[in-house]
Amino acid sequence: MTHKQMRIIDHPVLGAMNERDIMTFTFDGHTYKGFKGDTIASALLANGIRQLRVHEERGTPRGIYCNIGHCFECRTTVNGVSGVRACLTPLKDGMVVTSGQTEPVPLNSEHDVDELPRTYTEFIQKQKAHEAGDSDA
Amino acid sequence: MDKMIICRCEEVTLGDIKDTAEQYDATAREIKLRTRAGMGYCGGRTCRPAVDKVLEDITGEKPGDQIPLKVQPPVRPVTLATLGGRTNDT
Repeated sequence: MTHKQMRIIDHPVLGAMNERDIMTFTFDGHTYKGFKGDTIASALLANGIRQLRVHEERGTPRGIYCNIGHCFECRTTVNGVSGVRACLTPLKDGMVVTSGQTEPVPLNSEHDVDELPRTYTEFIQKQKAHEAGDSDA
Repeated sequence: MDKMIICRCEEVTLGDIKDTAEQYDATAREIKLRTRAGMGYCGGRTCRPAVDKVLEDITGEKPGDQIPLKVQPPVRPVTLATLGGRTNDT
């Protein structure tokens, strides 16, 4: 697996990369391998994965942006915990990483005012309808 | 140029800000509230200098005027669960 990865294995300043423990993790259900010392983002990048999530409303792709933990553009869900920055989180063996997906926007101002939910029950109903694929609800 | 994204969290382009300024004859603060530029997940820590500069150019208001573009950048966004005492070991 490692021979397919894009990595600098002999850096002109930092020298050659030593043998490192291989760690296995999943991203959106697919299994990948990274090295000990990788962040989630670097391991995925080495495997050719650049898109870590989509914008919750627009669905446009997002990936590493600042890569120093500042911008939260690379946030993923790790072992069920959302909002985890892939660029700062060290990879661990067996991690289950999932990308961010689009969210329903029932309160979007582009909706007709009369169609906005007026109660929490209505909100939940609209959300369920959205999840069922009825984007007009 | 107008397609350039100023605020990535809320996906606000320069064109969005210009259009809002033109349509509503808005102050810098009002543009920010209408477009949500600088009010996303990161708390404006990434785009604030750009938002300040763009709004200054468009409205002529200096940032930090009498009605400031209020900024409360978090050290990091935390969940209610974290505030409630859950430890985060990931």
